[in-house]
Amino acid sequence: MGLNYYQIKKNILRARKLVIKGTNIAGSGHPGGSFSMAEILGCLFNKHLKFDPNNPQWEDRDRLVLSKGHAAPGLFSNMAVAGYFPESEIDTLRKFGSKLQGHPDLKCPGVEFCGGSLGTGLSYSIGIALAAKIDSKNHHVYTIIGDGESDEGQVWEAAMTASKYKVDNLTAFLDRNFIQQDSYTEKIMPLDENLDGSEISEMWKDASRWKTGDKWRSFGWNVIEIDGHRIEQIDAAITKANATKGVPTMIISRTIKGKSVEHMEDNPQWHGKAPDSDIVPIINLELDSQFMITPSIIAGDMTNLENEIKRCVTGRADYIHLDVMDGQFVPTKTFDHNKIKELRPLTVIPFDTHLMITEPVKYVKDYVDAGSDIITVHAEVTDESSFGEIHDILKQNQVGVGFSINPDTELPEWSYKFLQSLDQLIVMSVVPGKSGQKYIEETHEKMTRLNSILKQHNFSGYIEADGGVNLENIGSVFSDGARAFVGGGAIIGQQDVRAAIRDFRNEVLISRRRGLLAKANELGGIDLVNKWIGLHVIGEKQEQIKKIAQEAGYI
Amino acid sequence: MNDPIMTDMRSEYSKSLIQLGKENPDVVVLGADTTDSLKTSGFGKEFPNRFFNVGIAEANLVTISAGLAVSGKISFASTYAIFLPGRAVDQIRNNIAYPSPPGKKGLNVKLVTSHGGLSVGPDGGSHQTIEDIAIMRVIPNFRVFIPADTIAVSKLIQLMAREYGPFYMRMARSKTPLVHSESQEFQIGKGITLRDGTDCTIAACGITVRMALEAAESLQQEGISCRVLDMFSIKPIDHEILEKAARETGCIVTTEEHNIIGGMGSAVAESVSESYPVPIKRIGAQDMFGESARDKEVPLLLEKHGITSFNMAKQVKEIRSKKL
Repeated sequence: MGLNYYQIKKNILRARKLVIKGTNIAGSGHPGGSFSMAEILGCLFNKHLKFDPNNPQWEDRDRLVLSKGHAAPGLFSNMAVAGYFPESEIDTLRKFGSKLQGHPDLKCPGVEFCGGSLGTGLSYSIGIALAAKIDSKNHHVYTIIGDGESDEGQVWEAAMTASKYKVDNLTAFLDRNFIQQDSYTEKIMPLDENLDGSEISEMWKDASRWKTGDKWRSFGWNVIEIDGHRIEQIDAAITKANATKGVPTMIISRTIKGKSVEHMEDNPQWHGKAPDSDIVPIINLELDSQFMITPSIIAGDMTNLENEIKRCVTGRADYIHLDVMDGQFVPTKTFDHNKIKELRPLTVIPFDTHLMITEPVKYVKDYVDAGSDIITVHAEVTDESSFGEIHDILKQNQVGVGFSINPDTELPEWSYKFLQSLDQLIVMSVVPGKSGQKYIEETHEKMTRLNSILKQHNFSGYIEADGGVNLENIGSVFSDGARAFVGGGAIIGQQDVRAAIRDFRNEVLISRRRGLLAKANELGGIDLVNKWIGLHVIGEKQEQIKKIAQEAGYI
Repeated sequence: MNDPIMTDMRSEYSKSLIQLGKENPDVVVLGADTTDSLKTSGFGKEFPNRFFNVGIAEANLVTISAGLAVSGKISFASTYAIFLPGRAVDQIRNNIAYPSPPGKKGLNVKLVTSHGGLSVGPDGGSHQTIEDIAIMRVIPNFRVFIPADTIAVSKLIQLMAREYGPFYMRMARSKTPLVHSESQEFQIGKGITLRDGTDCTIAACGITVRMALEAAESLQQEGISCRVLDMFSIKPIDHEILEKAARETGCIVTTEEHNIIGGMGSAVAESVSESYPVPIKRIGAQDMFGESARDKEVPLLLEKHGITSFNMAKQVKEIRSKKL
């Protein structure tokens, strides 16, 4: 139990793919709401929930109540990944005789609540929490409710009751995806603001206009508001909730219905519809193509790194890249673990610590203790034995394992055996030592070589491109296979970090769309290309994608 | 017949709960702002950490009871019969009856209500439930009782606590006449023959049992031998006792404080029509609502719906002529 950030991310991806597989085979189901809560469930199952898949009735297990029961495929997929039953069983979803019913059911060992009739899960959870209190048990109850189901009056009956009985052993999540069956929640029954027409999409991007948290606060709950797709925020919120005594906690999680698949995102049509078989491979490729932007703070003001961290936070960076240089492995010296320790309390965003130091094995524990989420060490200063030691230390401490090679270094053969348990491989596209260098063009070719080795050795981590990545080349670096992008001058060097990160993302998105169109073209020619484009009905996506397809000559 | 001894079902319920609470630490009691009226508050005083008043929120009441039950508790949830099931049918179905842990049927929740039927009196038609039996009977995994007196209440509460699974039991608001002896046994799905007879059968439940006995007594004067059954267990219904009655007496009159559609009379008719069809007459609310009646006027209200011993005797005489 208790996986690191990267492993949680991988399991969430696995679960998402199972949702697609299950609903596709069933021909019905609710992928949209399964995806909006994917990270919440992922954090619970892979880090916080106490359970034993081999003994689902274990008395001291934590209880997970999925009140928004239509998102059953999301629950079942996580249970499959967690080992309650083989992943292949997801194929029986919604079938006659299957324990994987259309809605969560006690027929499936490990499921705690028969969901489906909305608005009841919170009351049920209170019952479980009260029973635990009577029996002086320490297990915790986690409940996920939907925003659509918050229309039900019983939710608010439960809100009052939980507060009255001080069930601090209950933590609820509101999966605030702004969509219910008929349309957007704010059109059907506003939880935040009664708004008309087009203003809706603007409103839900603006957290200052959210009032749902105030509702729960006024009912006497401890309220934490987070981005419900940020693993680190969910993780921190759960930890905080569990430490809060005397009141129940509601974690209001801003989420996106259909998150991770562009044509499903924020699209009410995907509340309860299964993907077609010909689209499934494209969706899976899209799911495999998630990417992260990680600004490197040494490209900023070295005398005020605290401020650089803050800029990363407001800029909504996925990770923060911390280049540790010792003046020996590289000529420059930056900071060490003491500085990281000082910076750690400023944010929960994962620290992507890149050790450019000699003899990293000697110091790696210091960087673990400083609060790194992943630590990357260099091939040039490790060997099989020292890397093995580092690998073990990191694994034991639930810290991600990273390995890095310089531009003129090939992946050493001794490292092959570690590839399948690596979380990240940094492929340096500049000679490390200082920021502001140009991307070395040979890296493209090197990536192609690397990809075949990585595939051969079951690498399932992320390739991080580090050095000289900018708006001009990020698209091609993505299509080379990189999924995390370190941005030095191109991000931190810019005045508006948020805009710079957004521009980075947009460029990657274009490249990704190009790749997905190529896949559609390869699988089904112009018909499938047009069908896939036609699925993108929200915002301006369709026009943008059409343009890419035209440029590529697919349509 | 002698003047009956009148006793209060809610006081008996209260006493039974406290006794259960002492015997079994897993018994929990829940109410919805009617705990003084239902007299469950006595349990709350004895066992404050096992007693929950959730306010005027019947849906919440039912679902919290289910959550406690799935965690190993034996939940007794109570309020007025008009609101439970009336205000929480979905929760009763989907949170209590439907969820079935491995090898079990439904969750271990006992819904015990008071103020059933027309005899609620002054509160009026809005508070006189004539539909609860029909509602509860149709939900799988539920068993449904209407006790005739406090002896039945006490024994059925013990039985429900012993027996795993969902139960619904409806009590009357006012004091009810004792019709059973202390030694009477109560079993799930077993009716009780209170009086034997050969010419006709009256199948009764709740407050109409005493009326049926009175009707049988008056028929006796006219030389008609009438059998009286207490069909307190409406679901499961006692097919055996009904088939025997049909075979041996040739006709059946049913009587209840409930709509004749879907109530005990319907259950009897369904059973008999499949085993040994004989003429049946159902007495009860004739698919119409009740209305206010002060306590002393309740007999008038019941009379309007034909729920009197006089009408029972009359119906027996009429139906005898239709015997096959």
